[in-house]
Amino acid sequence: MSKTVLIVDDSATMRQMVNFTLTGAGFTVVEAGDGADAVKKLTAGTKPNLVITDLNMPNMDGISLIKEIRKMGTLKFTPILMLTTESTDDKKKEGQAAGATGWIVKPFNPEQMLKVIAKVLPS
Amino acid sequence: MKIDLSRFQAAFFEESAEHVTTMEEGLLQLERRPDDLDLINRIFRAAHSIKGNSGMFKLTAITEFTHLLENLLDQLRTGQRTLTKPVMDALLESTDGLKHLIEAAKTGEAHDEGRIAILRERLTGGAVHIEAPPVAAVHSPRASRRVKIEWTPGPTLFQRGLDPVQIVKELEHVGRVQTILRGLEALPALADLDPERCYLAWTFVLDTAESDQTIAEVFEFVREDSQIVMEADAALVCPSIACDSVTPAVPTGTSVPSRSTATGDVPPAMVPNPAGPVAKKSDGASIRVDTEKIDKLINLVGELVITQSMLSQLGNHFESPDLPVLQERLAQLERNTREIQERVMSIRMLPVAMVFNKFPRVVRDLAAKSGKDIQLILAGEETELDKTVIESIGDPLTHLIRNAADHALESPEERLALGKPAQGTVRLSAYQEGGNIYISVQDDGRGLNRDKIVAKARASGIIGPDEQLSDEQVWLLIFRAGFSTAEKVTEVSGRGVGMDVVRRNIEGLGGTIAIKTEAGQGTTFLLKLPLTLAIVEGMAVRVGSETYLVPLLSIIESLQPSAGAVKTIVGKGQVINVRGLYIPIVRLYEAFHLEADHTEPTQAILIIVETESERVALMVDELLGQQQVVIKNLEQNFHKVDGIAGATILGDGTVGFIVDVRGMLAISRGVAVAA
Repeated sequence: MSKTVLIVDDSATMRQMVNFTLTGAGFTVVEAGDGADAVKKLTAGTKPNLVITDLNMPNMDGISLIKEIRKMGTLKFTPILMLTTESTDDKKKEGQAAGATGWIVKPFNPEQMLKVIAKVLPS
Repeated sequence: MKIDLSRFQAAFFEESAEHVTTMEEGLLQLERRPDDLDLINRIFRAAHSIKGNSGMFKLTAITEFTHLLENLLDQLRTGQRTLTKPVMDALLESTDGLKHLIEAAKTGEAHDEGRIAILRERLTGGAVHIEAPPVAAVHSPRASRRVKIEWTPGPTLFQRGLDPVQIVKELEHVGRVQTILRGLEALPALADLDPERCYLAWTFVLDTAESDQTIAEVFEFVREDSQIVMEADAALVCPSIACDSVTPAVPTGTSVPSRSTATGDVPPAMVPNPAGPVAKKSDGASIRVDTEKIDKLINLVGELVITQSMLSQLGNHFESPDLPVLQERLAQLERNTREIQERVMSIRMLPVAMVFNKFPRVVRDLAAKSGKDIQLILAGEETELDKTVIESIGDPLTHLIRNAADHALESPEERLALGKPAQGTVRLSAYQEGGNIYISVQDDGRGLNRDKIVAKARASGIIGPDEQLSDEQVWLLIFRAGFSTAEKVTEVSGRGVGMDVVRRNIEGLGGTIAIKTEAGQGTTFLLKLPLTLAIVEGMAVRVGSETYLVPLLSIIESLQPSAGAVKTIVGKGQVINVRGLYIPIVRLYEAFHLEADHTEPTQAILIIVETESERVALMVDELLGQQQVVIKNLEQNFHKVDGIAGATILGDGTVGFIVDVRGMLAISRGVAVAA
């Protein structure tokens, strides 16, 4: 049974690209437009094996979303990857403190993304 | 397998165009509310999105330029910089520059580097350094060696979704691993064990030919709250910093501008907008659809309506005991078809804000150029219009607004002298009433000058020297080709080629334009537009054996005249006197070369129609009743025929022509209709 990935990003283009990459690799993809949308979908029953989230989003940003997800019982140990344009340590530290598993730096090429996913998601 | 993302470039360009619009609109609003933190964040996010996505397609010019915009915006939101006029101008013009870069990337042409370089200077205050991306360290192949790694993770390892098994699996890809478990002494008694806490630690003995960096990458995500000690056989400890993975660098920022800000004051702290974040329509699920698909769908629905209409008519003529049931079912079909039609039409409806949103910038630039103080108020932006109408009214509206800013509104000094506020106001509003959309462009400027207009018309020979005209007729003169009373031809307007084109555009959409003005107080242009273009509510009429449709929108009344009402005026032909107004008669059978039942007005029916504030009486044999029909455009296959606006298929399956009322007016004047 294929694994489900929840991709959260306010850019439709980015969501499409990630969706395409992951679907091609055999994942089932669920999209959310921002943190609030993601929380809505998660509470409605979406059970992702992995969450990939952008940090800069309206309505609820990535860091807040990560904190929210870690409060949800069933998602406490689900891998969460941040999509970040910053390679500086600050955002990485902030994300990790909030409970993020790891990160993917934008821009990335699709192969890099799949590699990082393989790192945190048991196949 | 290499995954190719270039198919998403089109989506990127579309999305970036939207982001640029967000930035521009946001900046204009920011001018009035410089402390609105939510607004700045919104603009920042738009720039940030463009930056992030452009990197995916290796559009480095866009990435680097947007990065500079982002920096400046970030400085504004942290209070490091104040929003002075030069800064605002730099931001707005850089947004234009960004538009240019995106367009250049889209078409594949080279961008104007000179222009971008100047903008770059303005954004950074002259201190720019774009860091060259660090050269990826080259790792020479090494002989296999043994490395000992002691990993002691923090207690919260699991709570970040990390699994030690994954680490081991990854190490196994790097080389041969032996795992030694440590930390058993830290384990409490089973009853006190917290399953969510990590107590254990590991030592790995790794035989590998890979570099230290490759090994360190395995621990990339756990480094933050772990202790890692790596020892190669020469007892070399690999410091964590040097083992950071190399990621493509984006210019990490510019130095603080060397020039101080104009005022030198301490920038006020940014506060979140006290009125709360500007309400945004929630992002409901939506998909992009090719307009071609929608047009085909609308065409099909049009055919469906025609077929259903034919069926209904047929149902009226049946002799059958089942007739009542049949008619009931047909009525049901008609209701369903109507609803499909309405819903499909509404797919093409877009809020008029799509047109309105470019005007704040237009007005701002016009005001700056002319030295006037102009306020633009928008109302009813959420009113929806058919997409084609929206695409076509942009130009006429721009013209009207430019006229208002250029000619109607007085300079601040003049206005104060007149007792008006120094700031002139242009009000652009849209609303729906009945089956129409109304858009009004209103200014509080000079108003139209009756005497000037009459004088100019007389001088151009448009009207006779003694001709008496009502106020309404005078205002309409400005729509004549070549007419302009502007004393100065500015770069923007005054050449007299605008207003007639404006009117023609509006009427081409099936709409009308009316003027209300008061000297010294201001002018209002009121545009009336149909909700949708493809459907016409018409009165079916019979002329001889042919059926025509007259648009209901234009019909004032229908009547059969008495003998005394019909008069003949030398030079103007036959007219009919309706309550004191003499209206020229157009014989449709003459216009269309048909044989009619009646040639005498007193025996025929006259339909009084109105266009361009003038009335014409169309002579027909019989009124057949109201019908809603789908317009089929003829011009793709035939030349334009004066007096015919299009065709449709009537209920009985025959073709009916739709009368072009404007064309009828021209015929009555004996003038050829301009194409």
